[in-house]
Amino acid sequence: MKIKIILLVFFVLITFFKSSYSNDTTLENKINKNLRCLICQGQSIYDSQSDFAESMKLVVRQKIEAGMGEEDIYSFFKLQYGEWILYDPQFNSKNFALWLLPILIFLAGGIIIIVKFGVSKKR
Amino acid sequence: MILNYIGNFALFFCLILSSIIFFTSILVLNNKNSFFKRNLNELLFFKFFFTLLSFFSLVILFINSEFSNETVLNNSHISKPLFYKISGTWGNHEGSLLLWLLILTFCAFFYFLKSKNRPSDERLLTIIFQELIIMGFLFFLLKASNPFNIIFPVPDEGMGLNPILQDPLLAIHPPILYLGYVSTSIVFSSSLAALMKGNINNLWAKDIKSWVYISWTFLTLGILLGSIWAYYELGWGGFWFWDPVENISLMPWLSLTALVHCILVLEKRSILHSWTVILSIITFTLGICGTFLVRSGILNSIHTFANDPERGLYILFFLFFLIFLSILIFFIYEDKFETNNKNLNFYSKDFSIILNNWFVMYFLSVILIGTIYPIFLEVLSNEKISVGPPFFNKLIIPFLIPFLIFMSIGPNLKWIKNNKLSNKLNLIFLFILSIVIAIFVFKFYSNVTLNITILLAVSFYLFFITIKDFAKRNYKNYSQMISHFGFSLLVLSILLNSIFSNEVTSNMRVGDEIKFFDKSIKLQRLENTKEANFLKLIAHFKIEDKDKIELLLKPEIRIYDKPETITSEAAIKTDIFRDRFLVVNLVKENDYLNVRYQEKPFMIWIWISAILISLGGIINILKKNEK
Repeated sequence: MKIKIILLVFFVLITFFKSSYSNDTTLENKINKNLRCLICQGQSIYDSQSDFAESMKLVVRQKIEAGMGEEDIYSFFKLQYGEWILYDPQFNSKNFALWLLPILIFLAGGIIIIVKFGVSKKR
Repeated sequence: MILNYIGNFALFFCLILSSIIFFTSILVLNNKNSFFKRNLNELLFFKFFFTLLSFFSLVILFINSEFSNETVLNNSHISKPLFYKISGTWGNHEGSLLLWLLILTFCAFFYFLKSKNRPSDERLLTIIFQELIIMGFLFFLLKASNPFNIIFPVPDEGMGLNPILQDPLLAIHPPILYLGYVSTSIVFSSSLAALMKGNINNLWAKDIKSWVYISWTFLTLGILLGSIWAYYELGWGGFWFWDPVENISLMPWLSLTALVHCILVLEKRSILHSWTVILSIITFTLGICGTFLVRSGILNSIHTFANDPERGLYILFFLFFLIFLSILIFFIYEDKFETNNKNLNFYSKDFSIILNNWFVMYFLSVILIGTIYPIFLEVLSNEKISVGPPFFNKLIIPFLIPFLIFMSIGPNLKWIKNNKLSNKLNLIFLFILSIVIAIFVFKFYSNVTLNITILLAVSFYLFFITIKDFAKRNYKNYSQMISHFGFSLLVLSILLNSIFSNEVTSNMRVGDEIKFFDKSIKLQRLENTKEANFLKLIAHFKIEDKDKIELLLKPEIRIYDKPETITSEAAIKTDIFRDRFLVVNLVKENDYLNVRYQEKPFMIWIWISAILISLGGIINILKKNEK
């Protein structure tokens, strides 16, 4: 039983680290969806129609045409406006708790279940 | 003018009645005084009646556009259509809190009426907790957000309601959502009461179940309505943005979903007593938390908090009071549980429900942490970060895979005993079939990641298995089958929708034509019209495919004057295979329009599946009433 749970956790973690959620038709849309429109209430520049978002979209397009990669464009915007502009929080010293806390809660839940209920496989 | 006073006094009267009920219930509980007991029903009804009176006063103030009332002044104006004058009543902080209170008093009355088979001291205790909540809200309403503040001299015209809120769906969205939130208060109060009386057992589970189903169904419907509204109103065709306000409605829904399952285990097997109580407490606190946070504007920016310290502080105080009270009661009376932690079997329904709770609580914690972490970080280190869709996708999608597998197999297992799965061959065949389909999609669509492919396979698996269950004609669990089928359809249509969506964006003048695969999109002409409270610019588009089949779409731009706002109304053509979504907006100081055309497959199935999910809940409620 315990092996099964361990396998399960392992399986989950593998897919977690491999995951990169991208199914947008173009790179441009993907980047646009990850950039926050700074003058709107919680919208990405992809979803926003404000002047600010429109001009940001232009900048993104120019950067892509200039041959910059996805990560380079993010760091460019991060340098200009701060981390606030990125919707995908990076894994760093400030944010590690954000990423790890849910996983720890998941593991703790699993331990509680095993301790509380001695699960048996006997038929 | 007079209605301001009526509404206000009705609220005061409510507060008096509420405290009378509170204290008499305590008296009755101690002395078993039968005089008050008989009258409690009437008192509860009168309290509901006076809240209703107060609520209708506000509605009529809105209908008559009486700007002597501050709430009406800030949220309405004369030229607004009647329908939106009425719905404007709950389209603002004060009015929506009054609606919340109205439902709260109704729930208390309705609970007392319908709970005659419960022990009388447990009922009284439930009412005591309920009154505590009602009084808390009444104080807040009267002190910090009174809907009946009077303005003098009376202004001629109001400020108007935000145009994007002037929408039929959004008019009924808050009442439905509130019905869901507020009815969890009964589950909360009743679980605390039953806990104090040592009544948490399978009989209690059986009785409280209908309230759990009611809350869950309304909450599901409420979230669905909000999501449909966001889809056609908020611009570019998304229906879920992982926005804090959306997350906050999803959290109580998740813990209710866990409760819906866990209460079954309590009923059938008499285990998980304390967990059920904890879930009831969590659900209600998250619900209050949600409404308050959204209403006070803490979430969008922490600084709004400082703007109105009175409201913010009251919220925090009340919330902490409720949490502290319930934790205290929980630990004092915890020993009243029948502690019989029976061993569980791996291949049993009970254990799969525990697995369900495990995963659902994980999803809940991801959303909770993702929503409040930025607030804490800003307070503690003054650094601002954004947590958006990529975060939630990364943490939720991998865990959804085992979750869906358990969900496929769990309902086919039996209670208590380990049992062999009947028709193992069938299950394996369906599994292979799902994998083949997913690999097929993976091969032909280069932008699909491995992760999504696996998710696609398991959601196909759940889909096939729920269909197979329908064929078995097991009418006992009809509601569960419909809800699970709806859920599999939901995951599947969301996935297929995100994989196969296509779009084109362009700037266009009249006469311009753009290509979209084998289709041509032409902007034929523009048209100006004037409506009651806005100007309308209609763009006429013709979409033609290679077989010369034409489709006319007419997206609009609306220019409202009070308050001055420009909104885009998308033109959506829906059929069972796809939505064609066209939206335009103005580009400042330019003579062209910004146009976005999208083809979004299976869009309607997302809504249908959410309706199916809640249909399962409705069937369950009706089934219980029949008995």
